[in-house]
Amino acid sequence: MMAYSEDHIALAAEYALGTLDADERAQVETMMSVDKDFTAMVQAWEQKLGVLNQMVGSIEPRPEVWDKIRTAIGHSAPQEPLVLPQAAPPPPPVPDISELAVAMDDSNVIQLSAKVRRWRNIATLTTAIAAALVAMIAVQAWRPELLPEGIRPKKPRTQVVEVKVPAAPVPSAQYVAVLQKDVGSPAFILTVDGATKNFTVRKVGAAAEPGKSFELWLISDRLQRPRSLGVIGGSDFTARPVLSSYDADTINAATFAVTVEQAGGSPEGKPTSAPIYAGKLIETVPPAAAPPPAR
Amino acid sequence: MLTPAELVWLIAAVAKGDEAAFERLYAATRAKLFGVVLRILRRQDLAEEVIQEAYVKIWNSAGQFNPGLSSPITWMASIARNRAIDVVRKRTESSIEEEPAAMEVAADTPDPLARREMTEELKRLLECVGRLEPDRQKLVLLAYYNGWSREQLAAKFATPVNTVKTWLRRSMMDIRECLGLE
Repeated sequence: MMAYSEDHIALAAEYALGTLDADERAQVETMMSVDKDFTAMVQAWEQKLGVLNQMVGSIEPRPEVWDKIRTAIGHSAPQEPLVLPQAAPPPPPVPDISELAVAMDDSNVIQLSAKVRRWRNIATLTTAIAAALVAMIAVQAWRPELLPEGIRPKKPRTQVVEVKVPAAPVPSAQYVAVLQKDVGSPAFILTVDGATKNFTVRKVGAAAEPGKSFELWLISDRLQRPRSLGVIGGSDFTARPVLSSYDADTINAATFAVTVEQAGGSPEGKPTSAPIYAGKLIETVPPAAAPPPAR
Repeated sequence: MLTPAELVWLIAAVAKGDEAAFERLYAATRAKLFGVVLRILRRQDLAEEVIQEAYVKIWNSAGQFNPGLSSPITWMASIARNRAIDVVRKRTESSIEEEPAAMEVAADTPDPLARREMTEELKRLLECVGRLEPDRQKLVLLAYYNGWSREQLAAKFATPVNTVKTWLRRSMMDIRECLGLE
């Protein structure tokens, strides 16, 4: 890979971070289209920063989104033509079935159109009669006025179905503290959910010596003494709700420290040795507050 | 959630035009990608449009996915997130006042399983972010998670845009050095 100036590296990094303005983003995209190495650098940054998305909660989109995606890719992919029998009356315009589903926001019709679509596929492989039937069903659903009087449906099949859009839940803030002795040697990673105050501790360092336990403490200048959050590190992963009795400001400003205690934790409810690991919370996923005005 | 290897396999099938594989890929990844773009766009309708466009792009460019360069979920999330950032940058430049009332903040469903899966790469990155000064940690994370522009970050930190620009650049260079990137 060729050597890039710091300006180029910063541009790639900030593109991945998302802080460039529209013109700069267009500039980066142009560079990526002509320079494979620069593209690789941008992708490397996207990969490095992309792990942050692990902290973002999943939210289900509405089912309609998939219908629209399928319609969109259906248009770009080759579709088998509908085979009509020679003897059939002049074929009325057959709408694209997937358009039908979008045009009528109606669950019954969508269900029908899915069936029609399946039938259409079979029709191309089987008989012309089946194909004519399919065409008629499609027309019934779509333009009933095109059909002869006798087989025209009595009422239009279109009906309006109200689709309630649930308010999309926005994830709460997530906080992380890396509890370490010195930089580069994390022993525990503490994660706190801002809404529930549930916390989880992942052990990434060594286990406690036999006969000893690691105990986690909350240290705050608002509190008289360290408060025990329990023994941790007995397994790789500990989850507890004990932070719920503390207010958010105390939790955010607190130092989280780990001491070595006798097996099962300090019997006195206070630490009996100096902390060996400590850290403070970093807000990783901020709450989705209203953004400040742009300028 | 499928394993990364299963996602790679599905993307390879999608590259050959396999619609069933594409449906499985969508089912396995839609909620994560939607969570990422909704946080940035903060509007259901815009987020849905972006997700649609992103998956159409994934369908069309599956053949370009290189498992040696990216993990499948990061590749897909980057496509969606880049589209979301493009949309907010353009909207911010036209008129931010058109913005309807912000969505109400609702509680997240706690997802301890996701946290169980915190990878070595995430731990390493958080360590490096953790080495930045506290304000800069916030700056970088707000930029990434909420998709804020330099102007929005400048307003949040009550500091000139040029200062934010300098902080962002230095922060990224510090992270680069800490991660040992080329």
